[in-house]
Amino acid sequence: MSFNPAALLLLIVGLGLIGWLAGRARSAMVAGRAGTKLHSRPQYHGWYVALWLFAPAAIFLAVWSSVAPAMITNDVLASEAAQRLPAFGFERSAILSDARGVAQGDQPSVRIEGAGPLVEPYRAATQKYGMIGIAAMLALALAGGLFAFTRIRPDFRARSRVERIVMGLLLLASLVAILTTFGIVLSLLFESIRFFQLVSPAELLFGTYWNPQSGAAVEGTFGGIPLFWGTVLIGAIIAMIVAIPIGMMTAVYLTQYAAPAVRRWVKPILEILAGVPTVVYGYFAALTVAPALRNFAVMIGIPNASTESALAAGIVMGVMIIPFVSSMADDSINAVPQAMRDGSLALGATPNETIRQVLIPAALPGVMGGILLAVSRAIGETMIVVMAAGLSANLTANPFASVTTVTAQIVKLLTGDQEFDSAKTLAAFALGLVLFVVTLLLNIVALRIVKKYREAYE
Amino acid sequence: MTQEDLSIADPKMTAQNVNVFYGEKQAINDVTIDVGTDLVTAFIGPSGCGKSTFLRSLNRMNDTIASARVTGKITLEGEDIYDPSMDVVQLRARVGMVFQKPNPFPKSIYDNVGYGPRIHGLAPTKADLDVIVERALVRAGLWDEVKDRLNESGTALSGGQQQRLCIARAIAVDPEVILMDEPCSALDPIATAKIEELIHELRGKYAIVIVTHNMQQAARVSQRTAFFHLGTLVEYGKTTDIFTNPKQERTKDYITGRYG
Amino acid sequence: MQTRIARRYAAERRFRLIGLGAVLLSGAFLAFLLFVMVGNGARGFTYTNVAVPIDFASTPLTVDAARLNDPDADQLIANAGLADIVAFAAEEALGDDGDELISENAWKEVRSAIKDDPELMTGRHVFDLPASSEIDMAAKAGASGALGARIAELRRDGRLSTGIHWPFFRNADATDPAVAGIWGALKGSVLTIFIAFCIAFPTGVLAALYLEEYAPKNRWTDMIEVSINNLAAVPSIIFGLLALAVFINWFGICQASPLVGGLTLALMTMPVIVIASRNAIKAVPPSIRDAALGVGASPVQVVFHHVLPLALPGILTGTIIGMARALGETAPLLLVGMRAFIGDVPGGICSPSTVLPMQIFLWSDEVDRGFVEKTSAAIIVLLFVLLSMNALAIYLRNKFEKRW
Repeated sequence: MSFNPAALLLLIVGLGLIGWLAGRARSAMVAGRAGTKLHSRPQYHGWYVALWLFAPAAIFLAVWSSVAPAMITNDVLASEAAQRLPAFGFERSAILSDARGVAQGDQPSVRIEGAGPLVEPYRAATQKYGMIGIAAMLALALAGGLFAFTRIRPDFRARSRVERIVMGLLLLASLVAILTTFGIVLSLLFESIRFFQLVSPAELLFGTYWNPQSGAAVEGTFGGIPLFWGTVLIGAIIAMIVAIPIGMMTAVYLTQYAAPAVRRWVKPILEILAGVPTVVYGYFAALTVAPALRNFAVMIGIPNASTESALAAGIVMGVMIIPFVSSMADDSINAVPQAMRDGSLALGATPNETIRQVLIPAALPGVMGGILLAVSRAIGETMIVVMAAGLSANLTANPFASVTTVTAQIVKLLTGDQEFDSAKTLAAFALGLVLFVVTLLLNIVALRIVKKYREAYE
Repeated sequence: MTQEDLSIADPKMTAQNVNVFYGEKQAINDVTIDVGTDLVTAFIGPSGCGKSTFLRSLNRMNDTIASARVTGKITLEGEDIYDPSMDVVQLRARVGMVFQKPNPFPKSIYDNVGYGPRIHGLAPTKADLDVIVERALVRAGLWDEVKDRLNESGTALSGGQQQRLCIARAIAVDPEVILMDEPCSALDPIATAKIEELIHELRGKYAIVIVTHNMQQAARVSQRTAFFHLGTLVEYGKTTDIFTNPKQERTKDYITGRYG
Repeated sequence: MQTRIARRYAAERRFRLIGLGAVLLSGAFLAFLLFVMVGNGARGFTYTNVAVPIDFASTPLTVDAARLNDPDADQLIANAGLADIVAFAAEEALGDDGDELISENAWKEVRSAIKDDPELMTGRHVFDLPASSEIDMAAKAGASGALGARIAELRRDGRLSTGIHWPFFRNADATDPAVAGIWGALKGSVLTIFIAFCIAFPTGVLAALYLEEYAPKNRWTDMIEVSINNLAAVPSIIFGLLALAVFINWFGICQASPLVGGLTLALMTMPVIVIASRNAIKAVPPSIRDAALGVGASPVQVVFHHVLPLALPGILTGTIIGMARALGETAPLLLVGMRAFIGDVPGGICSPSTVLPMQIFLWSDEVDRGFVEKTSAAIIVLLFVLLSMNALAIYLRNKFEKRW
């Protein structure tokens, strides 16, 4: 019998089912004998027993399957055969994993010399800890089940107990959000601090030369300014020049002029535009837009025009953001009270005067909030820039030249064969931290503006 | 009229020195009242006088409002309903409630009525449930109108039918007390008349407490009337006495339409 | 006054036209994008085949027919020199350049045909073999010069035919466009999304129920709320960094697998599901809760018997949209190793795998021109799946949308 977590999980689910049936039956019997009414219905007694059977055993199973491999390895290392292992890190772990593979039946025979003698100790240790684990788990399950089973009485509040557990579960689910946030902040901070031990934060934030090399950190090659500029140029300037006017005017037209039928058709089309995956936009930018722009640039005589231009990535990113801007603007304009619009029209203003001089100024805070959210989304966008903007860190204002962005560099630094602790991979986390902080600030400010604006009209 | 002669020697529910607070604001001030077992008790008073609040404290529906706080003692058959050992769910099964606006579940008529018996385990088999549902609908005077379409949605009924469905739903768990919070305020006169008729028929089977600001209604359906004003219980007595011979000046003013 | 009014009306018309222009421009972008993808991609679903007769009588394939169902049959046939036999037959039939006209993997098609029908191993049969990428491109798009002449010659001999490119739907990634397919990536996507759904959906819905129905108003719940709202706006690549640091380096979950990809996407989609679910739960009128409480349902029963079923259509709509987004997501998966070339269809949730958007990304980098149409074809498949999901969501929304 081997220690197979999935099979064991099934086993305790099965035990839980038996517990459920037993608890239900017993509660009905107890009530019948005492001739009284149960406080909780039989099925809740069933659930109570099942949970006591299942939960402790499941928790043990989870803990055991994460610590058992280490204990097995310890046992093997203590064995006689292991004394002949090379002390060297890589070779040692390769031999160990080879022996483990054979012992656990993942591979038919050893591939590395020297792993052979370790197979038996591995098999023995696996067997031993497997048996211990299974026995302990079953004991826990039975103990829990018996404990719950003996508590069944007509006046026992099984429903309240079960519901308290359900509530605990709900709370636990909502804690996942906090855990994720903490996970992001801690993992980014932790790796960034390690990076900043190698390279000073000032260099990352204010240096102007970016060219990280493999191996030891070289002073002066981690200047983030070109990346930040590239990010701003593509995400906050070019993309917004495309997205804001088109998105705003689309929203104005749809809310103020378009017939309901048109609205009904155009909105889903915009939703489709928003639903196209970014990798498709990236491919579109790289395949179609970038070469066209380069030809255009060459035609009008711009030097060093690149096929990986900031403009191509920015324009396509702008297109991607249009639906986002338009729906935010749509909401803001709709939130302006009808009375304001009527007031202006009643004075004899034309619709466009009303829109430009009354509606848009009134909706401006909401629109601004929406634009900030759009910027935060654009600077965090990855695939379009990876595929279309290139990877060379140039500090240039020429939109036809190639620039790179924070996200593109994160991808570049972390793909390929890197040691996880090299300055290059750590730099990716530091860039991630910068990106996270900036987008977080943008979001907080934007959400605050939008909220204030909504309150003003409620 | 023998029922009016019953004194409340054996009250179903009692309230002693009950105060209800919403946060800092006191909504009910030191109310003491008994609810008779076989009687219809009406709570009347101008809107905002706290009669609904008090009603909701009788089956602890105020628990659903986080800031609400109740002091004093309310008992059902001698048990303190705010005692920690009192299970609020069982309490509400014993003290049912009908709300101001009909609120059927968007389920079939059958499931609406059957829901309570199901969760309380009153019907071990489908046949038992059929019996309970039919009896509740018959008692609510709705059976003849819906017996052929029990699987249709409860929300498809007319307003008056919906409200009778809600009463049937409350009856189905066989409560001891039924609280009705202005059950007719969203209904037309014909539907209202039917509900009132129904209340007449239910009298004696359940202790009924009805909140209304329609004084004619209180006079028509109840044997006991309590007049609330500004969170206090001003006067409580036999309905005939309250309406013909009020003891308090404020009651008289309200009944004669001086304010309200 | 008159001229002023005329001017104002002209401004009005202009403004209106600009608005219409903006709408049309958005529509035009979408139309252009779809046009380019369909234009390039339609040809990716077909492939040019060259008819080559192979005479196993003169060049015998010495394989025991009884062993063709063995697990190592592929290896067996390869060792028997089928590749050389096919190349020889091609040169025999098509001339000296015959070997270059067919795909270097063409013999694998013969192999699977033989495995299906061992009779083929005897005697002479004509096989429709995939052309080389170069020939395929030239035959479909037209070519000039020597290549064009050669194609015309083959056509005249009736050697060329075009058919649906089955390997595209059947195979995993390969370096040769003649046999590269999306099945591996598609299965990887399905597994990944399945994992993401299994984690994000229950967690998200339960969290939404807690926050909307039970949570007391205090600092903790405020923190949860703020976390969720911010997580929904965190760039997706940050989730990739988190997954790399926590799932791979810390927990050591199998790299590049649907499991780790699914976990990453689950964290990313959960906030979306929470927000959509909360809105759906909020829309359930309080009178329903009162009604259930009034007949003695416990708070947990109120939620699970009434609120949740009524909110479910809204929750599902939000979930489908969130899942569609996860399905199209690439960036975070780049960081957890799903970028590698995977030549096998993934076997389970822990085996190395790639996903459909990643396959598109990988193919877009390929030098071989034949991959351009494969990339676009894969995009069409991805868009088709995503649009179907969105259409389903919109349908659900319209069907079950209730006005209370």
